[in-house]
Amino acid sequence: MLDHVVNAYREAILDTDRDAALRAVHNGLQEGLSAEDIVFRVVIPTIEVMLQSVSEGLGASLGQHFMTAQISAEVVEEMVPKFETATNPVGHVVLGTSHGDFHGLGKRIVGGYLKAQMIAVTDLGLNVPARRFVDAAVEAGAQVIGISSMMVHTARGEQGCLKVRAILRERGLEQKIKVIVGGAPYRFDENLYLLVGADAWAENAMAAGKVVTELIREVNGQ
Amino acid sequence: MNGMERLVAAIGGQPADRIPVFCNLLDQGARELGLPLREYYSKGEHVAEAQLRMREKYGYDNLWCLFYVGKEAELLGCRKMIFAPDGPPNVGEMILHKREDIERLEVPQDITGHPAFQETLACLRMLRREAGGKYPICAYLTSSMTLPSLLMGMEKWMEMLLCGPPALRDELLAKCHTFFVRETQAYRDAGADVLLYANPFGSTDFVPMKFFLDHSLPWIEKDIQAAGAQGMVYYCGSARMNSVIGRILERTGIGAYYLSPLEEIAEGKRILGERALCCGVINDIKMIDWSRDQVAAEVKRMIDVGKPGGRFLFGTLVMPCGIPEENIRAMLEAAYRYGSLESDGLEC
Repeated sequence: MLDHVVNAYREAILDTDRDAALRAVHNGLQEGLSAEDIVFRVVIPTIEVMLQSVSEGLGASLGQHFMTAQISAEVVEEMVPKFETATNPVGHVVLGTSHGDFHGLGKRIVGGYLKAQMIAVTDLGLNVPARRFVDAAVEAGAQVIGISSMMVHTARGEQGCLKVRAILRERGLEQKIKVIVGGAPYRFDENLYLLVGADAWAENAMAAGKVVTELIREVNGQ
Repeated sequence: MNGMERLVAAIGGQPADRIPVFCNLLDQGARELGLPLREYYSKGEHVAEAQLRMREKYGYDNLWCLFYVGKEAELLGCRKMIFAPDGPPNVGEMILHKREDIERLEVPQDITGHPAFQETLACLRMLRREAGGKYPICAYLTSSMTLPSLLMGMEKWMEMLLCGPPALRDELLAKCHTFFVRETQAYRDAGADVLLYANPFGSTDFVPMKFFLDHSLPWIEKDIQAAGAQGMVYYCGSARMNSVIGRILERTGIGAYYLSPLEEIAEGKRILGERALCCGVINDIKMIDWSRDQVAAEVKRMIDVGKPGGRFLFGTLVMPCGIPEENIRAMLEAAYRYGSLESDGLEC
């Protein structure tokens, strides 16, 4: 029965068919799967399989990432309250676009994927000042700050990630809060994340989930 | 030879002194005139003067009448642009928030008479007077399927495009199509020669192939059929297009394709063959940090792949302001040197 649900869900995700995906998980519940099964044996493995295929060069379009993230987050949000025992989030991420950047699509996709992987997300929105990233991360007890930039000058600018890094250093928070960056300029220069003082970057939103999980483990393991 | 002659030779596979070189310097014009960006973009004469000066200084082959991409949103009612000191302006006000906004959206009958187009016209007049017929004047036109992202934001548009409601989505697409056709006519009438058809949603980096075939391609066909393919260049921003250019060429007759820097130039050339101009585009984001030698080596690599067989143009994306002057010069010197056709007698 599980295989049947997994296959129906995966097919719907690949077709970016939200209704069919929701139908697959609801049928699964009716047929006896638990909410935990849906999240940990259907939704998260589907993201992992897609990530594997992307890393093998069978790329996914921005539209597929967008829909997969939205559908996955929606399903997890619906399932978590139905868990038999309360489950704590894996970690906490504060997300926003860099100072001067008004492009929110990438951030929204990343946020969806993270929520689908049981990571709590605080979305600070667009054009976020560096200090606000740090203050929000401290307030939420977040292990990771995620900064999205669509434009070269907002990725490299002094008010963006560079300033977040400077504030973290100034407050002695560099071991407690890690910084991940993403967005178009980083795809065109794979070493740019080092230049702006980030700890990591991800080529796409799906990969961001994996990198963020590793950063959370790194912080929690200290 | 001048830039127009080189471009015409490249399109037709005719002999020339070198391949055409398009260098897209926009915000750098403000620096050239010593003006802040907001002031620079307030006058068409500023943009035209800087475009002419920069082309003269560096010797490349094209001129731009584009101020910034958000201009099109201004023509449809946006009244707020956000200017940064070190990068292109952003649309500061989305004009579509709800269903009624889409229903109420009016496409100007006469783009040429629109107040927001007057400075563009002033720019075009000056460019035409000083360089018309000698150097191709480029205009930027956003496709029907991409324009809504300037009016409602990329997030909301992606959601409406993929999830509907279909009738409202199609109503917006139809209005954007009407705008595209009228805008194209306005630019042609004012003297633009090269019309960059900007359509990231016509790339399978943006939408799945099935969606491209079912939705993107029919709207591309509709746009180009109504506006005409003359002077059109297919462009997906920095997104890749090799997976679709064969179909687009067959269905629309667009004669030039401005590839992504992430694309295999050889593959683009193989698909287009002698049917269209292939434009190889350098990764100009890396040019901010590369050495002069690295820049020259990359230009050589690209031209070595693109030049054989002709019908090749070397180009840039929108060059970031942070690229050092010496790297701009290194890129252009290498493009002129390795793109030369005189010594090897090749057709352009």
